Amino acid sequence: MIEIKDLHKSYKMGSNSLHVLKGINFSVEEGELVAIMGSSGSGKSTLLNILGMLDNSDSGEYILDGVPIKNLNETKAAQYRNKFLGFVFQSFNLINYKSALENVALPLYYQKVGRKERLEKSLKYLDQVGLKEWAEHLPSELSGGQKQRVAIARAMAAEPKVLLADEPTGALDSKTSYEVMDLIQKINDQGNTILIVTHEPDIADMCKRIVHLKDGVIIEDKKIKQVRAEQYV
Amino acid sequence: MFDRDIWQEIFHSIKNNKLRTFLTGFSVGWGIFILVLLLASVNGMQNGFTRQFSDDATNSIFIRAGVTSVAYGGFEAGRRIQLRNSDIEYIKRSFPKDIEYISPRIYSGVSARYKSETGSYNVQAVYPDHQMIEKTLVSKGRYINENDLRNASKVAVIGRKVAEDLFKKEDPVGKFVEFNGLPFRVIGVFTDDGDDNAERGVYAPSSTFQLMYGQNDEINQIALTYNPNYDLTEALEFSERLESVFKRKFKVAPQDQGGIRVFNYAEVFENISNFTGGLDFAVIIVGLLILLAGIVGIGNIMVFIIKERTKEIGVRKALGAEPWQIIKLVLFESVFITALSGFIGLAIATGLLSLIGPNIQTDAFANPSVGMSIVVTATVILVVAGVLAGLIPAMKAAKVRPIVALSDK
Ligand SMILES: Nc1ncnc2c1ncn2[C@@H]1O[C@H](COP(=O)(O)OP(=O)(O)O)[C@@H](O)[C@H]1O
Ligand SMILES: [Mg+2]
Repeated sequence: MIEIKDLHKSYKMGSNSLHVLKGINFSVEEGELVAIMGSSGSGKSTLLNILGMLDNSDSGEYILDGVPIKNLNETKAAQYRNKFLGFVFQSFNLINYKSALENVALPLYYQKVGRKERLEKSLKYLDQVGLKEWAEHLPSELSGGQKQRVAIARAMAAEPKVLLADEPTGALDSKTSYEVMDLIQKINDQGNTILIVTHEPDIADMCKRIVHLKDGVIIEDKKIKQVRAEQYV
Repeated sequence: MFDRDIWQEIFHSIKNNKLRTFLTGFSVGWGIFILVLLLASVNGMQNGFTRQFSDDATNSIFIRAGVTSVAYGGFEAGRRIQLRNSDIEYIKRSFPKDIEYISPRIYSGVSARYKSETGSYNVQAVYPDHQMIEKTLVSKGRYINENDLRNASKVAVIGRKVAEDLFKKEDPVGKFVEFNGLPFRVIGVFTDDGDDNAERGVYAPSSTFQLMYGQNDEINQIALTYNPNYDLTEALEFSERLESVFKRKFKVAPQDQGGIRVFNYAEVFENISNFTGGLDFAVIIVGLLILLAGIVGIGNIMVFIIKERTKEIGVRKALGAEPWQIIKLVLFESVFITALSGFIGLAIATGLLSLIGPNIQTDAFANPSVGMSIVVTATVILVVAGVLAGLIPAMKAAKVRPIVALSDK
């Protein structure tokens, strides 16, 4: 599903530059649930952003579902993001003046799905995250956990090839975190490919594979026995 | 453009930012309001001028004769030029297609007496046509007719003030009044609502006065109206032709205004329309500047809005919004706010004008209003303004990098 080879990225800061990713090699199969771990500043978000086509790498190869991602213009990148990828962020990033349902429907709007079908589909996904009754509510009327579940529904609504989540539980207490992880595990059970950035070991343990990042290189990449979140909910 | 979703997005954004929308729209609405009022004021001035002049026939020309001021054609300067009845016949013969009405004017002063009442009045001795040239309103009796002229009848049409002075409460029509000791029958009374002074005058047949003063055919002035279908250029062209013919006939130098002077109302109109045309232009410039200030205001606010919405735009892009879709969102919002507020300004201004406009009827200012063309122009200006105001912010929005927008800082 994902294949990257010798990926480099540095940030220019005035005259000197900061080398953040120093040759990353790894691949992800369909249906995997991968945790990207590492201390703060190790380059986890940078890697995820490049995978999400929100940022460009300096060198290296990136193939997503057989499509080489290279020199995309803005419009093409937008289309690929829309078709291939779903995003979940630490701070939810819901649009505050749109209802939960409208937020979920937004990626479908950009997929040019018709209005009726769009709303039906969005409602279905809201139902899957257990928030059907909250469809008409604004984000400000939802708790943190509920917001993140709306965000997950929004990411899934476009039926992406890969779900990318940057610290999805970073702003939540542990009980709510487990609820969100339970949801992510269930989505993964359905065969979806998911990458999660986290620096919390208990969250990483709920994935099926942990990739450990330090100073811009992968120092460890292991498959683990998944801890189910359901038991803590 | 007619995609329901984008309008929903725009309404959403407007509804959730009422104050912002109001502030943005106010400057443009205000600009259009001022522009329309200014244009209407110019229009009111034009109406005022036209009304003042339309009291007399606006297609009139006057030919006066005087003393030559330069030597010409073998004659010395200082020669007196005399117009005669034959000159009127000459004009009728030479310009049959150009002339509508024509009349001589012979000026004289008379001492008038009726019973014990006396007074001094100016008499204009004229043809029946003169009524149409001066647009004289006869309130009682009748005006001079062809019979009076042919028979050189001693009849008079007197002004309302003359009638009041001499006849008091009596009905003057049919009574005899003495002018310089000769009895004249009053055949009518005229009014002139533009002018009290004119109502202190008397009209009589030109033939009568020419007979009274020594059987001559001398006249002081020729008054005529030209074909009412002539436009300004044709009118001016005709009076120039008339002037050059007369100057040749009397051997007066072409540029000598003392010997023969042809005065055309159209000249005055030409000056007025040049003046108000210039005013129109100045008003449009001022209005556009006000509007420009509004556009810059909207542009500024839109840029600020984009800053505020950076995160939202980043999210949209992450979810797959193409740059063009972001541009569309910002641009349409700007055009919508501009157009809507502009129309509100336009509606208030035209509403105000239709309320108070017809009540304003002073000498120099009448019924200020705006025509369809101004409304259409304003609409086009508004849409262009909206696009201009939204363009830079929209480009800025399209350039927002999702990575920057989404960083949790
Ligand atoms: N836009 C940027 N410009 C400059 N430096 C950046 C930028 N984004 C991240 N960095 C730096 O790159 C390093 C890696 O950042 P990041 O990928 O966000 O780390 P993590 O997500 O693992 O905490 C950090 O030192 C950070 O300060
Ligand atoms: Mg990070």
